[in-house]
Formats: sequence, C-alpha cells, structure tokens
Amino acid sequence: MLVYVRLVLLCALVYLALTANVELSNIGVGVIIGISIAVVLRPKPEPLSLSRLPFVLINLARYVVWLSIDIIRNGIRVARIVLDPKLPIRPGIIAVPSSMKTELGVALNAHAITVTPGEQVVEIGEDGTLYVHCLDVDSSLAGMEHAQRLRKEMLSRIFE
Amino acid sequence: MDITELRFLAATLVVVIGTLFSLIGILGLVRLPDVYARMHAVGKVSTFGVVLLTAAAVLTLSFAWSKALVLIVMLVFTGPLTSHAIGSGAYRLGIPMRQALRDDLARERIQD
Repeated sequence: MLVYVRLVLLCALVYLALTANVELSNIGVGVIIGISIAVVLRPKPEPLSLSRLPFVLINLARYVVWLSIDIIRNGIRVARIVLDPKLPIRPGIIAVPSSMKTELGVALNAHAITVTPGEQVVEIGEDGTLYVHCLDVDSSLAGMEHAQRLRKEMLSRIFE
Repeated sequence: MDITELRFLAATLVVVIGTLFSLIGILGLVRLPDVYARMHAVGKVSTFGVVLLTAAAVLTLSFAWSKALVLIVMLVFTGPLTSHAIGSGAYRLGIPMRQALRDDLARERIQD
C-alpha cells in the first residue's frame, strides 16, 4: 500500500511541476494520473522507511553535485580533444567490473558512466561487467577505479 | 544595474556557453573517425547544449523553473540511453572501430 501511495505522490508532484500551477483542480488531475499509472505498473511491495528519507535526499544531492562536476570536467576535456588540430584520440573498449549488485544498481552505474562525455557503455555482460568505449583509453583507465569506488559509495547509500 | 539586467546578462552568458558546446559537439561529429567516437560528441550537445539553453530560458523569461527542472532530469536520463542504444546497436552489427587501441569486448566474444 505504501508503495502505491509513494508512486501516486511522485506522479502528482511531477504533474504539478509540469503545470507549474498549484491549484486544487491540478492536484486532483495529478492524483488521478498517478493512480492510473500505479494501476498499470503495479509496483512490487518493498520495505522502505521514512526515517531514511532525509539521509537519502542528502546523498542524492551530493551525487547530483558530484556528477555535474564530473560532466563539466570531462566535457571540457572532450571539447579540447575535438578542437585540437591533431585530434589526439586513443579510442578503445575497456572492461570495467560493475561495482553494484542489483540490476537497478548496474543500470544506474552504466548511466553515470555514459552521461559523462568521453566514456560510454557499449555492452553489459552477463555478470554485470560494463564494456566502456573511451575516447582516451589511458586517462579513462587511470581514473576509472577511483570513480567507480566513488559511484558505488554514493549509489549504495541512496538505493540500499 | 538592476536585477532584471543582471539576469539578462547571466542568461546571455549561459546561452553563449551552451551554443559553444553545441558547436563543438557538431564539429566533433564531423571530425571524429567512427560511430563510437562520434556518439561522445553528440552526447555533449544533448547534455550541455540543451540543459544550458533551458537554464537560460528560466533566467530570462518568467518561465516556470519546475518545468525546466523536470525537463532537465528527463533529458539527463534519456540522452545516455539513446547513445548507449546506438553504440550497442553499431557493435552488434559489427561496425569496426577505427584506430582502436584495445577492445576487451572482442576478446570476451572470442573466448565464448
């Protein structure tokens, strides 16, 4: 039941954000949309505690800030490669062991890698190994272990 | 200098940076050698370009920031998904990498 309530609330909140107009009729429509989505999706019941919510939100904010900094830093790096007349790319695909255990964790890990410019997950193996295409193999290899450890730390705090 | 002027100035700066990154992304699309490398450049247009232009819209217009926030979250989630789908599709079709230094995935396939 609590899972349904959470999903309906989330959908209603997104709808309100999109209309950007907090009126009673909009809240009503948002709740109706949320209920229809919940009926279609039928989320599985899972244990969740409201006391962890502030902790999760703080860690989510930290993760978003860290990811933004990573995206900007790598974006500038890729921009410099593209603008360089010699085009100094050293492309290749490297295997990176996924730091996460659950399927959702692996997917979010892959998302975090792909969203940073210069690195992109091409394939995910059966055992959760991520095959990452890099524009610059050496620098990606050097930074990957540290970045994966940080990602694991932050994602597991949010989702486990 | 009042606050609207300051906001307009900030928005102009954000637009210039966003457009610059989009331009570099398109330049990369033309210059880089193969599908996989090009996807990196294209991904930059969707993350930097569109997100910064949305931010500029919030700064100049009395545009609802919550709409922009939802838009940015959706873009940041769907952008990598499309580039992964294209990259994965290209690899499965057997489109070769140019100037590749290593390919751990090919080694894995041979062992299978």
